[in-house]
Amino acid sequence: MNRTARYALMAAIIAAASGIAAPVVRADETCLSPYTAALIKGQEAYLHVWTLGEKGLGDESDKLVTIDADPKSKTYGTVINSVSVGGRGEAHHMGFTDDRKYLWAGRLDDNKIFIFDVGTDPAKPRLVNTITDFSEKTGFVGPHVFYAIPGRMVVGSLSNDKTRDGVTGLAVYNNKGEFLSAHPIPAGNGGDGYGYDLAINPKKNVFLTSSFTGWNNYMMDLGKLIKDSEAMKHFGNTMVLWNLKSMQPEKIFSVPGAPLEIRWSLKEDDDWAITFSALTSKLWLISHDVNNEWQAKEVATIGDPAKIPLPVDASISADAKTLWVNTFMDGTTHLFDISDPTKPVQIYEKITGKQVNMISQSWDGKRVYITSSLLANWDKKGSDSEQVLRAYDWDGNDLKLKFEVDFFGQKLGRPHHMKFSGPLEKASLDMPSRAASR
Amino acid sequence: MTRASGAFLIGACWRSLIAAAGIFAAVLPLRAGESTGPPPPGSYTLDHIQRVPAGIVLEGTRFPRALSRYTTGAITLLAFFYSYCADPIGCPLAWDAFEAVRDGIVARPELHGRVRLVFMSLDPAHDTPGMLMGFARRNEASASIVPWHFLTTYSDLFLNPVLREMGEEISIDREASSGGGVVINHLLKVFLIDKQGFVREIYSNQSLDPAMILGDIKTLLLEESKANGHKE
Repeated sequence: MNRTARYALMAAIIAAASGIAAPVVRADETCLSPYTAALIKGQEAYLHVWTLGEKGLGDESDKLVTIDADPKSKTYGTVINSVSVGGRGEAHHMGFTDDRKYLWAGRLDDNKIFIFDVGTDPAKPRLVNTITDFSEKTGFVGPHVFYAIPGRMVVGSLSNDKTRDGVTGLAVYNNKGEFLSAHPIPAGNGGDGYGYDLAINPKKNVFLTSSFTGWNNYMMDLGKLIKDSEAMKHFGNTMVLWNLKSMQPEKIFSVPGAPLEIRWSLKEDDDWAITFSALTSKLWLISHDVNNEWQAKEVATIGDPAKIPLPVDASISADAKTLWVNTFMDGTTHLFDISDPTKPVQIYEKITGKQVNMISQSWDGKRVYITSSLLANWDKKGSDSEQVLRAYDWDGNDLKLKFEVDFFGQKLGRPHHMKFSGPLEKASLDMPSRAASR
Repeated sequence: MTRASGAFLIGACWRSLIAAAGIFAAVLPLRAGESTGPPPPGSYTLDHIQRVPAGIVLEGTRFPRALSRYTTGAITLLAFFYSYCADPIGCPLAWDAFEAVRDGIVARPELHGRVRLVFMSLDPAHDTPGMLMGFARRNEASASIVPWHFLTTYSDLFLNPVLREMGEEISIDREASSGGGVVINHLLKVFLIDKQGFVREIYSNQSLDPAMILGDIKTLLLEESKANGHKE
């Protein structure tokens, strides 16, 4: 009998004596760090939406908005809580800690990182800590992606505090919000030093980073930016493969046109990731070649690249058979069949807004959520600046609108990144709870 | 700016940039060959993640001992567990990994007497010092080479501050416990602690690789040796 079997037998004997049931299977949204625990069982109960404040609208502040997502609830589809954090600093992305108790949310302009307690009561997140010295500690600007590793958070950033172009790096914090180390993205030797997303494959001890643009560009008005030929040269064209344990870059891939979100296949035996280039509108596959070397390869086109639809977010299904992609400019949500990831094929598309940005799906793929805002200065103007969250059911053939929240109409701001929470069902591990459970 | 004109302008700028820069280069390895497996011990640095908090624990008897007795003075591999845990991605995984690390240390004389293993119970009411002695006795054969301590404490009052400081979030799983027993939801975390009592690595069920753990232990020993001005 091997060790695991021996232990299992011993535990089973003790468990049987104590009347213990087996643990239940869990599920969740599909684009979390693989180290995230406390996963949602089935239906998500809440959507947390990191929202950019808008001058002249409501309290004008960036805020974490919580929406009831439980169809059985009386307040389904409505805003049930909002935590304003003060000021406007280009609110952008969020990420759970590994225990899912805390949600880190960053601002790309003033570099503040807000840490919310969403574990104690997900219906009422509380701001418990604010990191205000990110730039001073790291030399980086624009804390963008928050990716949990055990006991720590890796923060991928977009820029630096000297040139404010896209040369940047990764910072590691412990879960208490204390800075631990900084890791520059390689510039030179083919690397441009730019950053955007990061995604880990623990099994292979690797992670990938992608590349966007720096503070000079993402804070510039889009109309002005596209007329500035010098500024337009400053977009990322690379992805980097890193050794996870050593946090050392191992290989640089040329991926022209600002590769953004990276999605590893969630299937047990798969070892490939897919991404898209925003400006060239292509899907790229990162996988092993016949020599067992990691390679990046263009595998499909999203929309008509000549029209620059600007793909901005993607969500992979749990079975790695399909990939949702939102294109901002034409407000379209696309679905690709990626069951053969070397040959993705678009199988569905629908206009879901005047502008669409983030997209998240439930683990079972039956619910899909989108938001509208890309960046405050890049969003469309006038009546095209629709600012909404839309919730859809996916029946395998069509997206059916279930509810929408008008963020401008409700004087909230511009909705950007979404995260799910399950219902509060934990018992604390104090003596009365234990006694009650027994 | 209309949608169409914006798209056109971006497209024109970007296409010309790509053409001018000739950026369709191939893959650029940063060194000869990929090195994405475990890196050689000593070739990387482990962050000082946090200090292990103070606490009172029990081993074998109800005589109180400082937790620091078990987390300083030698490299420590520590995990929280409970004796009746049957979660296949929880305690059994930790148990398996600890046994593999113990065997790895036994097989490497240079590691003898330099590492301790610690399991600390999440259920002090059930896992009494006397009850845990049974686990300790099973590992007596290798205790002089790599001791394995099974700790508990008086009550949740003593346990919870340690868990909170170590970031070990736990809760009773009501659904799974509905049969009358208790299932404790806990995120499997295994802590590698240096001689000074700093957590230097945390492993989860996604990264609990005995070879990687042994590499990290050697990295800490090399670091210690370097700090002492020795060559190994």
